[in-house]
Amino acid sequence: MDTDYYSIDSILAENHKIPCKFEIDVQGLGYIDGGNEKDIKAGTKMLLPYWLAPTLSLQDWVDVEIPQPFSAKVRRALAADARSVKLSNLVGGTGTWYGFGKMMADLLREPQSSEISTTLINAFKLRLIDLMDQASHFGGAASSIGSSGETGEGGGEFREGLDATERELFTLAQGSVQRTKEWYETSSKLRSV
Amino acid sequence: MDFSDSTLDDHLFGIDTDENPIARLIRAWIDERHAPDLLVFQAALIDDLMQKLHEQGLVVSALQSDESTTEEEHLRITLVKTDMERAKFLIRSYMRVRLHKIEKYAAFILQTTEEQQKLSNAELVHAQRYQQMLANHFHATVLDALPESTHALDQTFPDGTSMITRPDRDHPVFVHARVPCPDVLLPDGDKITLEQGSIHLLRYRTIDTLLARGQVNLV
Amino acid sequence: MALPVSLHASTTPQELEFIAGYDMIEIMPSVRTDRIRVLSGTYGPLDALRTTKVPVWMALHLKARKKCRIVSPAWLSVDYLQDRLAEETSDKAFSLLPFRYAEIAKLLLDSAAEDIESADKIRLILKDIHEARQAKSREGLHQINDVNLRVRNICALELNDIRPSFVKSMDILIKLSPQAQQSHEEEDTFRDWSMGDDSYPVAADSTMETEW
Repeated sequence: MDTDYYSIDSILAENHKIPCKFEIDVQGLGYIDGGNEKDIKAGTKMLLPYWLAPTLSLQDWVDVEIPQPFSAKVRRALAADARSVKLSNLVGGTGTWYGFGKMMADLLREPQSSEISTTLINAFKLRLIDLMDQASHFGGAASSIGSSGETGEGGGEFREGLDATERELFTLAQGSVQRTKEWYETSSKLRSV
Repeated sequence: MDFSDSTLDDHLFGIDTDENPIARLIRAWIDERHAPDLLVFQAALIDDLMQKLHEQGLVVSALQSDESTTEEEHLRITLVKTDMERAKFLIRSYMRVRLHKIEKYAAFILQTTEEQQKLSNAELVHAQRYQQMLANHFHATVLDALPESTHALDQTFPDGTSMITRPDRDHPVFVHARVPCPDVLLPDGDKITLEQGSIHLLRYRTIDTLLARGQVNLV
Repeated sequence: MALPVSLHASTTPQELEFIAGYDMIEIMPSVRTDRIRVLSGTYGPLDALRTTKVPVWMALHLKARKKCRIVSPAWLSVDYLQDRLAEETSDKAFSLLPFRYAEIAKLLLDSAAEDIESADKIRLILKDIHEARQAKSREGLHQINDVNLRVRNICALELNDIRPSFVKSMDILIKLSPQAQQSHEEEDTFRDWSMGDDSYPVAADSTMETEW
């Protein structure tokens, strides 16, 4: 979601694949999805990287569809219990579901654009509380990830399901708890003058 | 229990007790630390402190080498020296925060007059040198091996993306109201009142004018 | 890089402690001196007949040289803190404590414990207060949104702890909000409004303001 030109994260995020349907015939490029056809026929669906999509869809050469991580099925699962959805499964271990979602919201027209935005915001808010609770429980403690602490098994699973953005937030929260703990436990007594 | 007579908050947060230059420096440093944007350089404050530090330094040297200096005077000298070291730490911290932001936004600053006015002369020179150094580096390592048409470092693309990094003025900040403040307009259209003493988490853009005027400070 | 990455998002507890050193505290000197003029002001003169107010950093330096005794601030007492702890555990809101209570308490307990009555007990109560407040400070996340969050009676250290995650969370919500595109055009409107004259308007209806 970083819009800085030099942001590596956002460059990598643009590799997310989105389903596109060709509205026109394209000659000679039939190989790009690994197929045997020489040409692409109108109506063919293909997964293309996000960075290609704006140019192609602006010219109406392709029709962009909603990718699987934001499908109706996923949205229903989130509405039922946002915390139990494993976002990392949807976008891969290093993927960012929120970042990808925002890119889709920017790309799509209404009402899909707002629908995705709302889904993202609600999911984020609902998962945020657990995220912070876990960060503070594990912050500063020397506990291993696999240990069943106060949050036990459920906690471990939740943490595994975080997307990259949430993991970054988790680390930030942990770091700050850790720093305060270290300060608290170190005496600031003036040494002899 | 009334804390007003025993805490620094009076000095830091009481807009009418600004005479203490250390309190002002702390506020300037912390404001600069949390603000995504570069704030106006506190030239008068820094000059004043540097001058005082210089004078104190002379007095301290003179007294320390004077044999007739009493034990009581030595004690006071020690306290003055400690105070001076603390002040220097604050000044260095203030300059370091600014330097970080200046380097990060060097290209943007150099193409925006408004931004340049916030820098001291020395800072401006640094920005220019840094930018030049960075450009040379890009050229030497990458660009010179690429076609001329890709050499620009200041392009803006059709989708609005710019090669020049700008401060994010929507960055959230914790704001403390030092005095009763005029209402501010939120991005969603609502107005809120920042009561004196209150702390809010707001977008920087919402309060930047109040901050520039000293009516709020960042915490 | 002029500033280490870890300091970008926040201040360190050590920096907060340094700032707290400029808070004022009462001492009972055991020596006599002329007035002490430093950059933040002029203090003293010190004499053994009466208490004087000096900055905490100065008090601790004098204490280390055995030139004074620290007069414990009224709030740094077992009774006062136990009352606050009771409030912390029974009330959703933060109890009222000096903004830099945690830093000052630590500075004094670390270097002048003998001047603080029941120092050990106070340490324990403070630890409980600290934990209760830390847990409470995360409550605000329930109300976080992309425009405004008010926090009441929070102190410097808790604020410092939550700052990176609250700021980042709000930043994410801002970036996800559909209005993200429009903030540029609205900029002029903000300026006009907040640059109104200095007669403060009647407080706006704050029903949209979320607080905790």
